[in-house]
Amino acid sequence: MKLQIYKHCLSQPSHAVIIFCKLHQIEFEEIEISLANGQQYTPEYKVINPMGKLPAIVHGTYKLSESHAILIYLASFPGVADHWYPSDIQKRAKIQSVLDWHHSNLRQTAAYVMNSSAAPLLRRKLNLEAAVINRKVLLKSLKMIENFWLNGDGKFLLGNSQPSIADLSLACEIMLLELVPDRDQILSPYKKVLQWIEDTRNATNPFFDELHSLMFELKAVLTVESSVAEHSEARRKLRTLLSKL
Amino acid sequence: MVLKLYVDRLSQPSRAVLIFCKANGIEFDEVLVDVAKGQQRSPEYAEINPMKNVPAIVDGRFKLFESHAILVYLACAFPGVAEHWYPADLSRRAKIDSVLHWHHSNLRAGAAPYVFNARLAPIFGLPLNPRVAARAEKLLSGSLAKIESIWLKGKGRFLVGSSQPSIADLSLVCEIMQLELLDKEDRNRLLGPHKKVQQWIEDTRHATRPYFDEMHNILFKVKEKLARMPAEGATSKTLAGNKKQILSKM
Repeated sequence: MKLQIYKHCLSQPSHAVIIFCKLHQIEFEEIEISLANGQQYTPEYKVINPMGKLPAIVHGTYKLSESHAILIYLASFPGVADHWYPSDIQKRAKIQSVLDWHHSNLRQTAAYVMNSSAAPLLRRKLNLEAAVINRKVLLKSLKMIENFWLNGDGKFLLGNSQPSIADLSLACEIMLLELVPDRDQILSPYKKVLQWIEDTRNATNPFFDELHSLMFELKAVLTVESSVAEHSEARRKLRTLLSKL
Repeated sequence: MVLKLYVDRLSQPSRAVLIFCKANGIEFDEVLVDVAKGQQRSPEYAEINPMKNVPAIVDGRFKLFESHAILVYLACAFPGVAEHWYPADLSRRAKIDSVLHWHHSNLRAGAAPYVFNARLAPIFGLPLNPRVAARAEKLLSGSLAKIESIWLKGKGRFLVGSSQPSIADLSLVCEIMQLELLDKEDRNRLLGPHKKVQQWIEDTRHATRPYFDEMHNILFKVKEKLARMPAEGATSKTLAGNKKQILSKM
């Protein structure tokens, strides 16, 4: 019974789910939902996920939304190593507390990226006033990861020596910052965070890089300085990329 | 060593944890962290929970915060907790997990700031903020509508079609109970359209009696206290006008 994953190419929670599946050779079919065209609000998609959000999975007749619930569900598939979502209830509880904390904290990264820079890519409006608040929460969250969640002997969150679904989810969220011009300014004070992203990337490559390649393509095109000829080429590339959204 | 719960009954997630423990016969020491007095910001409490919010638990040497993680832990760690609170069947469990995760950015993100900025702030010595309340109200209304039409779909009386309550029911209903602090008009405006939601609140309350009412009693006391306070913006506790409004840390 093949898994279907409904996703979007710029959706961090979609990336986390797909990377996890690829890493564990969980067979799936991916179905792109165009956020720019409002496809998540269509009656056809509402049958899959009435909340109109991504990602969602369909496994036979079973449907599930919310990436953290999906990651927990997939972690029970055969062949998935224990460290992704440990059976020990105390270790598991700690990972759940990160996953819960994330929603009101680091998840503001997506809101910051959209409100400050990326909204036009999805035919939405920027909201610079909201972006100021989003940025404050994002910085506070990065500080908490640096000073608390990454405490301990290991390279990963909670001082674990191996990654969990929490590392995957949160590292993918931070990768969204590739789309903002002040990415380096935001991240450079947080040395442990930068190292941890590298470690999570190494633990999940080549899939981590594969899933983030569109982000880097968009970044390159958006930041190009150019002569007229290069500018036309950049615009052509951007149009091609935008059509995927 | 008995389980310690660091809680304030004024905090919706604290109530969910308290009711769960009582309803399942889990022994605990209730340690009040008075959020209106800012006790969650003390250095002593930061040792328990560096996020400086409630609830948090200490079970022997094990510390944990985030109410959903706590509820799952308690459901799994303590024998005698009935299976329906957090089913062993992974498909059913995942549905409950999806509600728990949906909650943060939806019902919680709407209800908590709405009640705080429309009614509760003076208890904390802060002014009301109608602008923030109006924005939060939209999210709250939308979330209640989704609970009515999506999460309460199905044969059972509880979320995701279950015939018995789970930790998700307890968490979300405790959140909605904060609306008891509002005037009757406001509460009716928000909850009136949603008959299934109203029934579900009653069903959850019934399933966890008498502890549900015991833990929610504080809301009526706080409501009386608010009613006795001078009009909004003119309280003796209101801080200087340029103090920034903070979101509830409960």
